[in-house]
Formats: sequence, structure tokens, C-alpha cells
Amino acid sequence: MTTFGDLFLAGLSTGAIYAVFALCFTMLFRTSAVLNLAVGDFAMLGAMGVDFLYRVESWPLAVAIIFDLAMIGLFAFVYDLAVLRTALEGSRAREAILVLFFFTFSLSLFIEGLAQHMFGTNVVSAPPLWNGPSLQFWGLDLQRPAVLLIGLAILTGGGFAAYLRFSLNGKAMAACGDNALGARICGIRQPSFRRGMFVAMAILAGVFGIVESPMTGYVFNSGGSLSLLGLISAAFAGFVKPVRAVAAGLLIGIAEAMLGGYVSSQYQDTLLFTVLVAAILIRPQILGNLNPAN
Amino acid sequence: MTYGDFVAVERASFSVRAGECVAIIGPNGNGKSSIALAIAGLVSRSGKVEVDGVLAPARNPAWMAARGLSLVPERRQLFAGLPVVDNILLGCYSWTKNLRKARASDAFSEAVDLFPELQPRLKQLAGTLSGGQQQMVALARGLAARPKILVIDEPCLGLAEIVARRMYEAFKHLNESGRTIILIEENPLRALAITKRALRVERGILDERVDGRLAEHLAEAASLEVNPS
Repeated sequence: MTTFGDLFLAGLSTGAIYAVFALCFTMLFRTSAVLNLAVGDFAMLGAMGVDFLYRVESWPLAVAIIFDLAMIGLFAFVYDLAVLRTALEGSRAREAILVLFFFTFSLSLFIEGLAQHMFGTNVVSAPPLWNGPSLQFWGLDLQRPAVLLIGLAILTGGGFAAYLRFSLNGKAMAACGDNALGARICGIRQPSFRRGMFVAMAILAGVFGIVESPMTGYVFNSGGSLSLLGLISAAFAGFVKPVRAVAAGLLIGIAEAMLGGYVSSQYQDTLLFTVLVAAILIRPQILGNLNPAN
Repeated sequence: MTYGDFVAVERASFSVRAGECVAIIGPNGNGKSSIALAIAGLVSRSGKVEVDGVLAPARNPAWMAARGLSLVPERRQLFAGLPVVDNILLGCYSWTKNLRKARASDAFSEAVDLFPELQPRLKQLAGTLSGGQQQMVALARGLAARPKILVIDEPCLGLAEIVARRMYEAFKHLNESGRTIILIEENPLRALAITKRALRVERGILDERVDGRLAEHLAEAASLEVNPS
């Protein structure tokens, strides 16, 4: 029982990482059909930026966090204006998903280079936002940053779901991703929604990096693998529903922990991806919007 | 109006009075729908479009929607993955961003009541409706925008005759309630059911000076058929 419980909580913590990134992918894709492969790099900038300002430059923690997140938001805003607007709007518009992949993949590499230059190559982390010994749940230990992380995933997923369901702006945002021309006909300014969501998801990833980094630590090129895990979880949510994205992230995390614990820790990733591929083959509708049949 | 190097509409000059219903007719591929898109600000154009004497900015559909011009486009352009009710509510977006206000508005009620057959399907995804039902949702969405001017593009394309007649009854009702209607229609006979004024587009040219009554266009079309030379 203890082993199962420990594995479950460990999986929940890992799953929360996937969940937040899946959420970032899902919300931006829902607004603009853009898959932001640099989302993990924004998390890395959040963690390493706060570490640099707080530990190296001795800024107060709150000021360091606010300044770091503001810089991430500004960077995302400028990138959208300079690159995504050119790529997606006007006479040079390119709507092919692979072209957009290229743009955000390039952004990921650019941020990695920038981070290496600014923060070096050491593994660092932001200071924990909630200090103290592990919390006890039915005799099981759960680290405080993990609790924050799971809470962040559930709160943001629920918040975005409520926004989409109970506000006209949320419905307009969903409409942009569903049919951009239809949205324009209704007077919805799709580029503003895309820009707002691109900036918001960059800041959310930054917050996530700050919260999560005390558990795993970050290095300048940590972002790529995080983006990939988020992308896979978002794919299992069909890139449509935020709550489903969070649930998919958490379930994949739990499945990974269980496979590692009960089957083989050495081949944990191999087994996980085998299960995921089998799931898609058996139920292709899992992929939702990505399923060519749709 | 051009698409790359292709000139879709070379010249289009006409005016429509408030409350009037006018049909834009002409063969397929001659620029009728392009004129509708240009009026709504969805494609780039040269020249000028005025609404109530105010010059409209080019490529600004949000401005047009806010001024009360609502486009019901060819092929509907619904939000297939959203429920019918959300599709109609999004028609209100041009005049409010408040969901509660939109839901309680007369415009939303009128749009939902226009086609009672949509009532039991409000929660159904728009993409799962039949073609006729989708056209009803497209018109209801356009109506929820509180339009002063409705631009309706090829509303009966691919619809059964009985559904087409139902749509035309709705257009007639909307025009009688004071809305200006610009109807893009390939079939002049059908347009005759609600208007006597027609503007003909041919090879990308629409000129109000050669504007005529629909009956004359029909007679002209008939004589061309009898004497193809």
C-alpha cells in the first residue's frame, strides 16, 4: 500500500509538470493553432532568472520574481509582434503548422543560447516559495513544492475552463482557434487574443519554473524536454480542453511512476511511450483535433 | 480587389438606401462573393466603402461589425466545434463582451426565435448539423449582431428547395422589419421573391449606372438563352 501510495504521489508530482505544460500548449493552440515549442524555455528563464537576481544580484525575492516575470512577458510580446504577427497576418501569412513549428523551435534555441550566455551552464533553482518539512498524507510524504505545483496545475486548468465556459471573451477565444475567418466575421480580433495568450502562457510557464525548480533544478537547456512532455500530454487532450489537458498530464505522470515502480525503472520511458502509442492505436479519437478523421 | 496577381473585382460602384433590399447577381466566378468580402473588410481592396456617410477603414471587419454590418458568408463559416448556442452568442460580440448581457438581449432572443427548429439543438455542436440547419445558425448569428445591414452571400447553395424557401421567408421578414439587405445570389429567379432591384456583376465589374430591375435582367438572360449568339 505504501509503495503504491508513494508511487502515486510521485506520479502526481511529475504529472503536474506535464499538466501545466499541456495547459500552456492547449490554450495557445485553441486560440491560434500555434504550438509553442519554447514554452519549456520560458519556465527555465523563470527559474534561472529568479536565481540570478535573488542569489547573485541579491535582489529581494518578491522584486526578483515580479521583474523576471515582467521581462518574460515583454520578451514574449516582442517576439509575437516581430515574428508571429509577420508569419500569421497579412499578405505573408503562413498557416501551415510545420512552419509555425519552425518559428517556435527557433525561439527555443534562441532562448537556450541567451540563457547559457547570461546564466552559465550550472544547475540552479529559484528558492522554494514554501519552506518546511514534507507534508504527511495518510503516512505518505509529499514535498511542499510538489503541493504548490499540483495546486497550480489544478487551479489554472479549472480557471481556464471556467473562462472558456462562462465568459463571452473565453468563447471568442475558442472561436478563434475553431474558425479564424468566422471569428473575424463576428468582429473578434484574433491577433489580439493570440498575442495575449502567447504572453500569458509564457508568464505561466515562468511561474511554473519558479515553483518547480526547487524539486528538479534547471540548466540552460532544460526547456526542450519539458516542452516535449507537455506537447505529448496536450496531444492526449486533443489540444482542446484545459481540464482534459491537466488530467492527461497527471495521468501520464502517474502511469510513468507506476510502470517505473512495478515493471522496470530502467525501461520506464520506453514502457510509457509503448503504452501511449498503443492507446492511440486502439482509440485514435483520444487525439481529438489532431486526428485526421476530424 | 485582387488575389495575388488575379484581379477578382476590377470595379464595383453602387449605393444602397437604408431599409432597401438589393440583389447582386451574376454568373459564378465573376466576383460577387469577393465584393461581399471587401464590403465586410475581410480582404484588402482599393477604393472606398461608406456606411451612413462614414468612410470604412480597409481590412477591418471588427469596425464594420461594430457599425452594424453583418456578413452571413458563403459556406457559413460557423464554429463547428462549438455548440449552436455559442455560435449565436458570438454574433453578439460586436456590441458586447458580457455573456450575461448577450444572453438576456433582445437580439439574441430574436435570433434564437427566428428558426424554432433550432431550439432543441442549441446544445448540439454546430458541425454536426445538416446543411440547412447550419445555414439557419449562420443567419441567426448574423442577426444576433444587431445588424442595420445584412450582407447574405449565396445562402441557398446546396440546400433543398424547401429549406431555401424557408430561408427566403426569413429574409423577407428581416427586410420588412427595417434591415437593409444585400443579397448575393446566383439564381435571379429566387432573388425576385424578395426584391425588384438587382445589380449585375460581370467579369469583375459592377456598375450602378447599368443597374436594372430584376425582371429586365431575367428577360435579358432569357433572350440570351433563346439566341445564344
